Amino acid sequence: MIALVRMRLAGFVRSGRALAPIILALVVLGVIYGGGPSTAAAAFGYSAVMLFPVLAWQTKLVLDAEPDGQRRLARLAVGARREAAAGVLTAAVLGLAFCLVAMLAPWPFHAICRPGSGQASCVTGEPSLVTGVGLGVVAHLLALAGALGLGALASRAVTRTVRNGLVVLVVGAVLAIVLGLRGSIAPWLVPPVMATARALTADPLPGGTKFVLLTLWALAWCAVALGGYGWLRRRRS
Amino acid sequence: MRFDQIWFRYARRAPWTLQAVDATVQPGETVVILGRNGAGKSTLLQLAAGVLQPSKGALRERPPVIGWVPERFPADQPFTAGQYLSRMAAVRGLRGGAEVHSWVERLLLTEHVHTRLADLSKGTAQKVGLAQALLVPPGLLVLDEPWEGLDAVARTLIPGIVAEVTAAGGIVLVSDHRGEIAGLTSATRWLIADGEVRPAADGAAGSEVVVEVAVARDEAEAAVARLRAEGHRVLRVREADSEGLPR
Repeated sequence: MIALVRMRLAGFVRSGRALAPIILALVVLGVIYGGGPSTAAAAFGYSAVMLFPVLAWQTKLVLDAEPDGQRRLARLAVGARREAAAGVLTAAVLGLAFCLVAMLAPWPFHAICRPGSGQASCVTGEPSLVTGVGLGVVAHLLALAGALGLGALASRAVTRTVRNGLVVLVVGAVLAIVLGLRGSIAPWLVPPVMATARALTADPLPGGTKFVLLTLWALAWCAVALGGYGWLRRRRS
Repeated sequence: MRFDQIWFRYARRAPWTLQAVDATVQPGETVVILGRNGAGKSTLLQLAAGVLQPSKGALRERPPVIGWVPERFPADQPFTAGQYLSRMAAVRGLRGGAEVHSWVERLLLTEHVHTRLADLSKGTAQKVGLAQALLVPPGLLVLDEPWEGLDAVARTLIPGIVAEVTAAGGIVLVSDHRGEIAGLTSATRWLIADGEVRPAADGAAGSEVVVEVAVARDEAEAAVARLRAEGHRVLRVREADSEGLPR
């Protein structure tokens, strides 16, 4: 399976399909960090929310990069389950690289300030820079988990047509924002990207239990979405 | 390997492409699938390979190692032929390049190793597709119109490869509307028509008659292809005036 992941990574990077989401992500990050400094938790909280649809799109691009015939050849070579898992793993590896870039992006622009540095935008409940960065890592990983699930469900192998895939991706991304708003009637239907961002921008920051619950929520949503993807892929090669 | 009452259709309300397919293939057997365009030959082969899942029924005792050569090799990939085969060998769990090197030489691909897949001719891409299917000796080799685009030299290699797979106890399923392999004495022939699969005429002495048919010159090629697709053996094509054309 690792050899298949390597083959797909190489194919995706060489095909040039990686460029479009990278450019979009850089634009998004430029907008976020162009407005002046803020504390790490708040900055990364917004970054994770904004990157969620981009990560989901990138997941779909990764899973759609191979021609259908090649995906079927891979399925015969390693088995149906491993082929499906290798696709998600490839998207996860690229998503982690994406998150790393997003975590590094604000530093060259001095867009992160230490709590208590005296700047008005840095007066929040964030106890320390390290805590803020750590929570930022958690926020990006939770966004990635949700994005993997949504991107997989929007992949061509599941939706069969470009139009259906785009509809699933766009509707899923919009619902993640709309149903994630405060006072939503069914927040549990979507991954907790908005809830995580709210937690990271709260003053004071909520306790550790809140982030454990958010993590469990994100993992459960991801597990259900990827379980659905695996179930649908049993008959859709 | 056994097709156990297999039914298949592409969508819930679509007509059945295959109905109640019930057949058995023994180890070491070659089966040639015949039928018109759109009869369901590729569908049956993809069901056999496991690329498609039956709507009803099951395929039983399928060998674990399957080599599948699709009708159209997926050449839209950012690899050279050599890189592609090396990566597929790794995906198949092979280490070192011995198998890749061996099949590249045997299928006359040496000069194309550094050519991008997208730049290969149809026939050369088909040979790359054949090589990836044979990297690990298959227990089931599924060839979907393997002669398409191949030159005369390459076409002669396929019967030998088929014979090697069957000699090792493997099963070969091959669709063939050109009649390239139907003449093999050891091959079983199945005919697909109206969604059903049945044994084609075996050509044994005494079970056939010769029917002479005159067709327009510009329709001859199509007529030959049609007759072969229906499982008939086309013995020869001759000029109408060479032996006289009765009125």
